[in-house]
Amino acid sequence: MAKDTPLLDVADLQVELITGQGVVRAVDGVTFTVRRGETVTLIGESGSGKSTTAMGVLRLLPEGLAVLSGSVRIAGRDVVADPDAARAVRGRTVSLIPQDPMTALSPVHTIGRQLGDALRLRHPELTRTEARDKGVELLGRVRISEPETRWKAYPHQFSGGMLQRILIATALAAEPELLVADEPTSALDATVQASVLDLLMELQEHTGIGMLMITHDLGVARLVSDRIHVMKDGRFVESGSAEEIVERPAEPYTRELLAAVPRLGTWDEDESSYGDGDGRIEPLVQGATS
Amino acid sequence: MPTYLARRIGQSLLTVFLTLTTVFLLVRLAPGDPASAYAAPSATSADLARIREQFGLDEPLFVQYGYFVRDLFTGDLGTSYSFHSPALDVVLDRMPYTITLAVSAIAVTTLVAVPLGVWMARRADTRRELGANVLTIAGQSMPDFWTGVMLLTVFAVLVPVLPASGFTSWSGLVLPTVTVAVLQLALISRLVRREMSTALASSYVTVARSRGVSESALTWRYALANSSVPLVTALGTRFAALLNGVVVVEVVFGWPGVGSLVVRALETRDYPLIQATVLVTATLAILVQLLVDLAYPLLDPRVRLGKAA
Ligand SMILES: Nc1ncnc2c1ncn2[C@@H]1O[C@H](COP(=O)(O)OP(=O)(O)O)[C@@H](O)[C@H]1O
Ligand SMILES: [Mg+2]
Repeated sequence: MAKDTPLLDVADLQVELITGQGVVRAVDGVTFTVRRGETVTLIGESGSGKSTTAMGVLRLLPEGLAVLSGSVRIAGRDVVADPDAARAVRGRTVSLIPQDPMTALSPVHTIGRQLGDALRLRHPELTRTEARDKGVELLGRVRISEPETRWKAYPHQFSGGMLQRILIATALAAEPELLVADEPTSALDATVQASVLDLLMELQEHTGIGMLMITHDLGVARLVSDRIHVMKDGRFVESGSAEEIVERPAEPYTRELLAAVPRLGTWDEDESSYGDGDGRIEPLVQGATS
Repeated sequence: MPTYLARRIGQSLLTVFLTLTTVFLLVRLAPGDPASAYAAPSATSADLARIREQFGLDEPLFVQYGYFVRDLFTGDLGTSYSFHSPALDVVLDRMPYTITLAVSAIAVTTLVAVPLGVWMARRADTRRELGANVLTIAGQSMPDFWTGVMLLTVFAVLVPVLPASGFTSWSGLVLPTVTVAVLQLALISRLVRREMSTALASSYVTVARSRGVSESALTWRYALANSSVPLVTALGTRFAALLNGVVVVEVVFGWPGVGSLVVRALETRDYPLIQATVLVTATLAILVQLLVDLAYPLLDPRVRLGKAA
């Protein structure tokens, strides 16, 4: 891959969804790029097509119910033209941080099993013990306390904020160059939101990965983005740097989005602001209540 | 956990006892007289009265019930009128055959219905899935004696590769097993299909796919593990039902299990034998249900913390 090839290069992407009520053009010709170390944000009201864009980029929309056209090049490979390319980049070049952490992990498998699997997919040569050691270290990096104990815990034993950090660890297990984060904080309460965003930005600083961030919250967008695309009815109505969009919005739609912020609580760099969430854990001992 | 188990076992014993009481009363209140079933055609009313007295049926109902309960607690279920030996022994002699048929039918059902249901879920709403659905439902809708007789005709008469009747070698197990399994296939495969479709469409599968987990691992490890509770429940329920004996199939194939025994006991109004059959099959069915319930926490960790209290 040439040095100047963008990590993600989306050109005239259209997505048609086949629904019960007929065909919906959820994404109607969007074009954008994400380069190494950059955060590009798609912002827009609910139903504007942000998730469909993100899932379309990863080719995770249900086959047969979603028709893609245009091109999506991830590290130079067009995943619209070639489904095998999509399979090849997922979990290696690109990974996803999903919107709702509460449903994003299999409820009947331990955290360790799922994180360990992600690690061993990337590094098949790792033994179970090695994967465990690496996984425990990753959990520590996303500030899960007592990661050795938690390795054997199940998703329902964690709070939403902790699950989202575990999912970030799982996404990082792929050692991706590009992270797609679909509203990574909207299911979390305000203080936890700040801690998760903080963590993502810190990771980006250390690893230089590119990020496609999806949000409906301009407060979040302003904090994290290099570039913002404002989305409405499947199209971009306005694009620009974070500063341009926030300080000098051209479209009334963008001004409406602006009026709805700030929802994000005080920006608190102090780790203690989310230390509390960490200290709480449901009993880990099986059958502890009987 | 121990308290939970003790409570469940207590409930189970009570259920078995109440079932037995109901059956005890029903067989005696239903029309028909055991004495006339066992008396010679020429028997006088004095002969009939003597037989009734011999069977203890001349006593008032509540006195009979009192003796029944007293004997029950010593493990005595009376002497079978027709076999002239302890009723419980007669039933227990037949149980291995019924259990063998039930285990083998459930095993075959599972081995066929689970892959079939998974296949249907992965090809949901295609023509081939529709075809599989039609076939399994046709199998379920056919009367079991018809399936049995068809299989007999083909494999024991036209192409005589399998024994037609009885249990003389393990090959005698094949046709009854297939007949019973055909009846279960539609139910179990459609349950698997439904659960797997839900699981495959769920968020955790999409997220796992996003981190590069292969389609086969998504199917067999993620989705199937998340479908295991309803699957085990359904298989357990079907298995418990099969332990009650598969009357028609046993009769068609001359299978010496509890099902054909029940028919005979009812025909001859063999009260002790009916009661002993009910005791054994109800106990087994409840035991299976208990095992299924105990398996839940192993299959779904959320049950461990939630329900165990
Ligand atoms: N499963 C679906 N069935 C029907 N319509 C859908 C489905 N998913 C998305 N859509 C439609 O696609 C459009 C974009 O949805 P989405 O991408 O989820 O928006 P956003 O993430 O911006 O809230 C909406 O108009 C929505 O109605
Ligand atoms: Mg969305």
